[in-house]
Amino acid sequence: MEPLPKKDDPSRTTFTDYDYSNFYYGAGDDPLNLLGPFGQWYQEALPNGYYLYSEPLSAAPGTRVVVRNRKTGTLQELLNLASYNYLGISYRDEVKEAAIEATRKYGLGASGSPLLSGTFDIHLELAEAVASFKDKPAAILFPTGYSANVGFISALMRPGDNIVCDQYAHASIVDGAILAKSRTTFFRHNNPMDLERKLLKCSGKKLVVVEGVYSMDGDVCTLPEIVEVCRRHGARVLIDEAHSTFLFGPNGRGVAEHFGLDDEIDFHLGTFSKSLGGQGGFVCGSADLIDYVNAFGRSRFFSCNLAPPLAAGLLAGLRIVEREPQLRTRLWSNVAYIRRRFAEEGVDIGKSASQVMPVLVNNDAKVFSVAEKTQERGLYIQPVTYPAVPKHKSRLRVSVSAAHTEEELETAVGVIAGVLREEGIIR
Amino acid sequence: MKTRYGYRDAISGFFEFPTENARKILPPHLEPVELHHGASIFSMTAFDFTESEVGTYGEVVMAVIVAPLVKPGERLPKSAFYPYRVATTTRAAREHAIERWHLPHWMEDIQLEFQREGRRVGARARSLDGEPIADLTISDYSWQPVSHLYQSFMRNEQGGFLANIVMEGSQSEHEEETGSLVLHDHEFNRELMISEVSDVPFRELWMRDGLQTFDPLIQLQVA
Repeated sequence: MEPLPKKDDPSRTTFTDYDYSNFYYGAGDDPLNLLGPFGQWYQEALPNGYYLYSEPLSAAPGTRVVVRNRKTGTLQELLNLASYNYLGISYRDEVKEAAIEATRKYGLGASGSPLLSGTFDIHLELAEAVASFKDKPAAILFPTGYSANVGFISALMRPGDNIVCDQYAHASIVDGAILAKSRTTFFRHNNPMDLERKLLKCSGKKLVVVEGVYSMDGDVCTLPEIVEVCRRHGARVLIDEAHSTFLFGPNGRGVAEHFGLDDEIDFHLGTFSKSLGGQGGFVCGSADLIDYVNAFGRSRFFSCNLAPPLAAGLLAGLRIVEREPQLRTRLWSNVAYIRRRFAEEGVDIGKSASQVMPVLVNNDAKVFSVAEKTQERGLYIQPVTYPAVPKHKSRLRVSVSAAHTEEELETAVGVIAGVLREEGIIR
Repeated sequence: MKTRYGYRDAISGFFEFPTENARKILPPHLEPVELHHGASIFSMTAFDFTESEVGTYGEVVMAVIVAPLVKPGERLPKSAFYPYRVATTTRAAREHAIERWHLPHWMEDIQLEFQREGRRVGARARSLDGEPIADLTISDYSWQPVSHLYQSFMRNEQGGFLANIVMEGSQSEHEEETGSLVLHDHEFNRELMISEVSDVPFRELWMRDGLQTFDPLIQLQVA
């Protein structure tokens, strides 16, 4: 093998000229060819802001977290605006106690596939509780939200079928479509007219996939118009409510319920990792559908089942959601407060209509210095830049929780607006 | 021996189009880059060359974005493309590019008109008798000096070739989706399923007052 280029070698990469997208495709005769250029770039990218990713937490993801700074190695207590945990449930005492009790009863893991020896009574109880909460006949559990989309889509769709996704659909939806080997097209984000143009070119089975709340912009699906288009073209609709289940709608069932379209949607998918702060995914629907997915959802039955202590903690969290609708009220009150304060400070949060808010920096060169300064001033918040979002659409992604106090949100707004002003992003 | 071309404007639009269309255009040894699963990238670039061995001329390059050839110890290309149709406004430019770079040319001169209006620029390509071929419009964002390495793959009856090209100049690049493309029903566009090519560029790239430098052509071992 040839040695890696030295630091002053003209062949070496320059941090600002490249991004992750440059290290994905590379022809040649060795699958390791991209490792050298990527390694050089990454070593330069880390101290220039990429160290802000994957900084290890050493305490529960509450509104205050203890984080080890990957650049300095020091521990910092920060105000948390990065974790999901939208209802502040994962660290509640009864959730932890339920998980501890289940650990005593079941031990650590499921020790088997859900199709074989890995299904426990606690899994069935959780699936029934989820189905009941979503007001659907049945539900099936997956080890992660990612595997729920991958497993469900590839269980249902086949080569020659049509999958039409919103262009901002999550990677798990795209990967599900790839695994299904169906003809896959993307319509322009939240644009029913473009969806119609795409559906006009499809014949045979059609599945349209949307999300309730989009994870990078926090905007809500234009579901009524999309459902109408799908009806006209005989397309089935899958909604991924990862960021909206347990939050939206009169009963917290999600964006479909919010629009009064719960019964118009064919397939409801959700996760436990966002609002419940746990892990796992689920699909709700008819008993026939669930039986079919149980038989053909490869990502599910070729994985070990959810760990029973996790399932027990999730069930306890779900009971809290059912018992304490005031948590949703509190969350939306917090969302309204921080939206108003951002608007007053001139901070642009795009089209967000949810607890996920992009603080738009719109400057790929400055987003890391903005993020570094906000962390130095006490906030735990991550930058998002190309290719996760389009070029020059870089932002800080804020997650609001019901657990935040107004004082905490006010502190966050003050720090963010102050840094954006210093950097010349806002006036 | 390097070959240099000075330009006033080089404008590119990048558009989603079906991977099955991309594969029909590409030789088997090249892999299209996908923006999404099933969606590859078609690019149209228009050059306004002001300085070259063959004088001033205009050029249109229709290309598919492909995986670059990465070799240990060599500079990583910014991206790579396969130009499947090139057209110039002069015969001398065409013959020069065919002889030196083995580029697949439209064998008639075209008319290429740049329309500059403030922060927008357009390129209208027409046949000599005025038949419309393509209209590309893009806009600017912010400008910065760059020097980027690109790879251009070519193929003819003599085999496969690669040219390393450095583009220098002032660059604006964005994904604001403000541009447009009209591909006309013309023999020039016969390789494309026109109705399947997006008419809005997901990326717009504008370079001005720059220099395009070609390294000598490299012959590739391809099946």
